[in-house]
Amino acid sequence: MQFLAYILRQTGKNLRQTWGTQVMTLLTVTLSVLIFAFFFLIYTNMIRASQRLGDDVRLIVYLDQEVTAQMRPGIEKKIREFGPVEKIVFVSRAEAFSRLSAQLDKEKDVLADLGPDFLPPSIEVYPLKNLHDLTKISQFSDFLLTLPHAAKVQSGSDWLRRFGYFTNLLRVVVLLSGGLLIITMTFIISYTLRLTVLSRQGELEILRLLGATSAYIRLPLLLEGMMQGFLGSSLGLTALYFLYQYIASRFSGPGFLRLFDFAFFPVELTGAILLAGVVLCTAGSLFSIRRFIRI
Amino acid sequence: MPRDASTDKPLVELVNVTKIYPPDIIALEDVSLRIYKGEILFLTGMSGAGKTTLIKLICCLENPTRGVIEVAGRDLSRISPAGVQRMRQKIGVAYQEFRLLEKQTVLQNIAMAMEVTYASTKAIHARVDELLALLNLSDKRDKLAGELSRGEQQRVALARAAANGPSLLLADEPTGNLDPVATELVINLFRHLNEKNGSTIVVATHDPSIYAETEHRVMMLSNGQLSAHPNRAPRQIDLFEA
Repeated sequence: MQFLAYILRQTGKNLRQTWGTQVMTLLTVTLSVLIFAFFFLIYTNMIRASQRLGDDVRLIVYLDQEVTAQMRPGIEKKIREFGPVEKIVFVSRAEAFSRLSAQLDKEKDVLADLGPDFLPPSIEVYPLKNLHDLTKISQFSDFLLTLPHAAKVQSGSDWLRRFGYFTNLLRVVVLLSGGLLIITMTFIISYTLRLTVLSRQGELEILRLLGATSAYIRLPLLLEGMMQGFLGSSLGLTALYFLYQYIASRFSGPGFLRLFDFAFFPVELTGAILLAGVVLCTAGSLFSIRRFIRI
Repeated sequence: MPRDASTDKPLVELVNVTKIYPPDIIALEDVSLRIYKGEILFLTGMSGAGKTTLIKLICCLENPTRGVIEVAGRDLSRISPAGVQRMRQKIGVAYQEFRLLEKQTVLQNIAMAMEVTYASTKAIHARVDELLALLNLSDKRDKLAGELSRGEQQRVALARAAANGPSLLLADEPTGNLDPVATELVINLFRHLNEKNGSTIVVATHDPSIYAETEHRVMMLSNGQLSAHPNRAPRQIDLFEA
């Protein structure tokens, strides 16, 4: 009990003695966590969005004339020649008009001057859920264009490809900011502890002469690093959460965030980032303690 | 009272200890000495005679070039770093240069010695008050060590060395900056520790007034060699050194 009380008291004393440096360190750790977590949050949301988009992939074959009921089995058979599909839906001109009308809801009056035949008939092909390969989707799209009366095929593969490039770029940014986080946290903590050790050089020397054990001298410094990691990561994540709330409230409604169902980290991931911050700062402390304190 | 050297077990034993500082300064040469439990030993000699070196060797601040040093039956060359730290908790050392933290109070300076043993705050405060009263420093308790006179700092250093009621107290020139009244207080402190705690006390000094009237053993170091003090009776000389 006395041991614990001493460790806590000494840690508090260390923090007070070098409070200016400690505040700067805390801000640096907070900022590092905020930058990393910000990009990581966008990245995780992008990944989820791309998975969802992959699940929702459908290929629409626009036709230049209606498909009769007699023609449908033949077309279905031909489509399945490429490979198994989830489902095939035939959409007539009237059904397309009816859908658009429903989507426009109160603004459907704009369709009043247009006839129900102005939209082309189409076939909606839903590939199996495991078809995420953009090359295969592209090949499937080319195949569908060979169907009788096919005028155009819309697969969204170009859009998905661009989205994939963006996600990859984001992955690089996350890795870079993660690396930056590791370097910043370990080095800044190590540097701060070095200052603490230097400011207490005389005291540590006397403690050594008085018989202070390794744990007595080192544990408060280790705790100092852990606390910096915990506080810095907590502040960084809290700042990110408020930033997220602000953005979510500003962009709520039909828009980008609604489209991607933008969400904050789950509790487990938040805890993992917090733990990583603590571990990195503790590692920085250990490095400094091993290097600058000889007992 | 002086101890009977023939029956007591030595707390500290030096066997043919030589200490040479680079390049070839011989601080101690072939010194053998036994210091017994509960004994008060005065080490005298001129400046540079090797008194401080001897004290540093006993508390593991220096390693001997040759020879063996045992404290409480343990060979110091074989003690682990952690073992050395544990041993230092039981040895009080009052350094010639005091080694106080000038920006900390008298209380904090003395308390440090007890904090490393995880003593309770209550026990620390009680002990500090007791020692300060013995050394007539009660009114300086909350003063910064740097604000004290040299004589007061010296007494604070002694109080810190005595704080844990050490089984061995090593005092290097403990009265170098003291007037006769303060010197008497220090001698009383040694007597108090020796009689109440059974502490073994080694006093390195070139001040004859401390040991002039003593009935305890007085040894003399000269050019790194140890001998009985020429003015002391032969009965006080340890047979081991004879």
